[in-house]
Amino acid sequence: MFESLFEFLFKYRPLIFDQGAFALRASWFGLLAAGAAAAGAYLTFRTYLQVRGNSRPLDRAVLCGIRIAALAVVAFCLLRPVLVLSSVVPQENFLGVLIDDSRSMQIADTDETPRLDFVREQLGTPESALRSALADRFALRFFRFSSETDRVAAVDELEYAGSRTHVGQALERAHDELSGVPLSGLVVVSDGADNADGGLGEALLPLQASGVPVFTVGLGEEEYERDIQMNRVDMPRRVLKGASLAVDLVVTHRGYRGESVTVQVEDEGRIVATQEVVLPADGEPETVRMRFTAAEEGPRLYSFSVAPQPGEMVTRNNVRQGLMVVEDRRRKILYFEGEPRWEVKFLLRGVDDDENLQVTLLQRTAENKFFRVNVDGPDELPGGFPTQRADLFDYSGLVLGSIEANHFTPDQLRMIADFVNRRGGGLLMLGSHRSFAEGGYAGTPVADVLPVVLPAVPADSEEGFFAEVKVSATRAGESHAATQIADTEEASAARWDTLPPVTVVNPITEAKPGATVLLTAPDDLVILAFQRYGAGKSLALPIQDSWMWQMHADVPVEDETHETFWRRLLRWVVDGVPEQVAVELSSDRAEPEEVVTVTATVVDPRFEELNNSAVVAVVTRPDGSVIERQMEWTAERDGEYRTTFTAGGEGFYEVHVEASTGGELLGEDAAYLQVAAGDSEFYDSTMRGSLLRRMADDTGGRFYTSDTAAALAEDIQYVGGGVTVVEERDLWDMPFLLLLLAGLILGEWGYRRFRGLA
Amino acid sequence: MRRFAARRWLPFAAAAILVPGIAGLAALAAPPAAGAPLPAMDEYDEYDFGNTAYDGRFVFVRLRYDMGFSRGFFQRDLPWAHDYPLAERNLSRILESVTSLDPYLGQNGGNVLTLDDPELHRFPFAYMSEPGYWTLNEEEARGLREYLLKGGFLVFDDFRGDHWYNFEQQLRRVLPGARLLPLDITHPIFHAFFGIETLEMYEMYGLPVEFYGVFEDNDPAGRLMIIANYNNDIGEYWEYSDTGWYPVDLTNDSYEFGVNYVIYAMTH
Repeated sequence: MFESLFEFLFKYRPLIFDQGAFALRASWFGLLAAGAAAAGAYLTFRTYLQVRGNSRPLDRAVLCGIRIAALAVVAFCLLRPVLVLSSVVPQENFLGVLIDDSRSMQIADTDETPRLDFVREQLGTPESALRSALADRFALRFFRFSSETDRVAAVDELEYAGSRTHVGQALERAHDELSGVPLSGLVVVSDGADNADGGLGEALLPLQASGVPVFTVGLGEEEYERDIQMNRVDMPRRVLKGASLAVDLVVTHRGYRGESVTVQVEDEGRIVATQEVVLPADGEPETVRMRFTAAEEGPRLYSFSVAPQPGEMVTRNNVRQGLMVVEDRRRKILYFEGEPRWEVKFLLRGVDDDENLQVTLLQRTAENKFFRVNVDGPDELPGGFPTQRADLFDYSGLVLGSIEANHFTPDQLRMIADFVNRRGGGLLMLGSHRSFAEGGYAGTPVADVLPVVLPAVPADSEEGFFAEVKVSATRAGESHAATQIADTEEASAARWDTLPPVTVVNPITEAKPGATVLLTAPDDLVILAFQRYGAGKSLALPIQDSWMWQMHADVPVEDETHETFWRRLLRWVVDGVPEQVAVELSSDRAEPEEVVTVTATVVDPRFEELNNSAVVAVVTRPDGSVIERQMEWTAERDGEYRTTFTAGGEGFYEVHVEASTGGELLGEDAAYLQVAAGDSEFYDSTMRGSLLRRMADDTGGRFYTSDTAAALAEDIQYVGGGVTVVEERDLWDMPFLLLLLAGLILGEWGYRRFRGLA
Repeated sequence: MRRFAARRWLPFAAAAILVPGIAGLAALAAPPAAGAPLPAMDEYDEYDFGNTAYDGRFVFVRLRYDMGFSRGFFQRDLPWAHDYPLAERNLSRILESVTSLDPYLGQNGGNVLTLDDPELHRFPFAYMSEPGYWTLNEEEARGLREYLLKGGFLVFDDFRGDHWYNFEQQLRRVLPGARLLPLDITHPIFHAFFGIETLEMYEMYGLPVEFYGVFEDNDPAGRLMIIANYNNDIGEYWEYSDTGWYPVDLTNDSYEFGVNYVIYAMTH
């Protein structure tokens, strides 16, 4: 609107004024006439100075000013003002036209017309309006881009089937290809839904350096009227079979405020969880926690979806998929207890039926006498707590019960800290009169690892602290996987409130910065807290009798709360604990023909990184064929090996990695990949005007929409680079000047009438 | 001849318990003392057994029960209180001495609780003497059933001969489907702390000593919930261990069983 009015008044669009330089090109006659006008102005001034009549000084000043202004306008026109422009020479320059070939171009969000219709109508044939206007001025070169960029001879070669959009890559490719010719600029026709991993800034730098402007034509709406999107899914990549999962989903929407929608989780087609969610205000993300059990072993494809709603613009962004490896393996936990006590018996009972947990008990029953349960053989823990790192690091988790710090040697205490920090294991310390500060751990390396601050123990205290407390879950504890003791968050919180009291002899009231408190008791007592420390995590559970949740008279015989608590807690303790060989893929989902990077980390039994191992990756394709790759040490990080392979057809790929040293197998691991054409194009699929504007602004180009793209050809003519000539455009005949002159004359007449002057 | 795997504790235990004049146990003598008269049954509810409150430590619990008409008929002392409190007091001392356990060491040796007392559930190790005279009501049966199924451990001691019939009958009221299975030396309870080599013991009642057990879900590989010392009275040995009434070996044998029972109960 503004631009049209401007063009009507000033003859040219603002861009022309931006690009041009002002100059006067008066002829001798024009100069003479302008001089006459100036003289006329002077005479006018003199005349009004002398004339008196019935006019007031103010009247004379106004009329004099109007008359002089009118003469000045005439003089300005006689001086022949012009705009001096640099204009590209027709057909001497090239123009790269990059057209988005991704699936998001199929979205019909503007007047229910697919975005690709603009391309077909405006660029599809030589007769198309925009193409024709461009072709009149430039030699056109067309490119299509999605995950790859290709030169195309005709626009109808586009299929709009690309599953990713890499704008940066497309700009680099087009710029490289047209680097040897006079290039006026690059035109990007896209919705701007770039979903490449790399930044766009790097792609723009060479364009800025060589002065190639990018003109962007944004297609689609910048905001949908009604749409729901499954924005994000936070789920673990590996879990133990039977693990109880709490997966956070983030749902955003526009236009459905206050409406209830159904969110559901499917395990390869089988619904495993559903929840009704009331949507918040537009644009406000809603986090939904879904609970379900990883029941089936192997790589599992989970779908998290919101049921499509009436009037939704895009329904394919209502679902996200995630690959999770459900491991049916036993994680070993060493439970070291310094005395016979009931917590031992009930803890072991609680997890006895869990086939994925092997809790090995090492219990000091007398001085230098140890009782062992669940050991793999007579050679395991024969002399008490391990003295060698390799022996301790064989476990994934470590539980320290009622065992005083001075039972350990300084090296063993450091080893426990390293178990968490370097090995990545999970450490849990239980409450007792021989643990935490009461056990003399303050000032030891283990105290550094613990998630709680150990208070000073009064030296003259003989009786010690004792309190019987009821435990309650914090807000974090209500939803945390480790403290879920019922099927729903509400039921879990309610169950915590009704559990019988337990006793505390370790008065811990302060968690470390960065630690999370999951359970508390009155007087700010910390009952369960955890923190990430180095590669692992540590937990503090300073109660001495969680078995009350099993034995107390108020607890029914059939109640499983105690068992559930310990299973989930110990599973979480060992969740994600790395093995000697750990493999990761650049993504668990890839497009067909996409290059996938395999990264493996290899350590020895002491978890010292190894750079000289023989590491082999075997990729098994969906059809059963295999690719074998020798993995090379990256030299970037100790113990890190890498290789790549190109994904073929769609389906599940298994990447199995084995590492060995001196012919001895160190370990093995497997990761899984789902190869399929993705739906990423349908997420955040509104037109990203901000990105397209930035591309144009950073390179000296301009941003257009489908409504304003008609001006593109002329704009490039004056903005673009390449072979140019100087062109002058007259300004004397601007309608504005005529209107101004007429307005001044009419103004003088009107003023005289108003004041009753002759 | 059976010998202990950790025989080294013996001199200490003997010194602490058997030698007259040693401060330890003698100093513990205080009400309710051995042989002190216990109240009549109708005064139980008001009688203060000096029970200690739960504080996290191991506490030996003796179960008390009604005898029905048989008490008046036999005109004898209370069977459930046989060897009380010296038996538990001495055993707790031994536990404290030879293991790293931190037991309650009060004058009464432990707590006396009824089978339907909710407080019983705070102490997962219990002992019952003379089950041949044991009677119980429905509340007590339910209380003891829940105690055992949740994880409690119970020792029956000091019964012989035809006491078995009453014991078995009452036990069936507590655990209707339970089977009393004979235990042999291979069972882990006999190796939980001391490596007991034989189950042969002195025939106190002129009848062969036998050990029976009740397992969770009647699975012999599962958790042992109950052990019954049939034709035996190891509590008697504990009680008189500081008098020299019984030979040292017999006393030590009885402590081995007692210690193993406690350690097994706390780990299985």
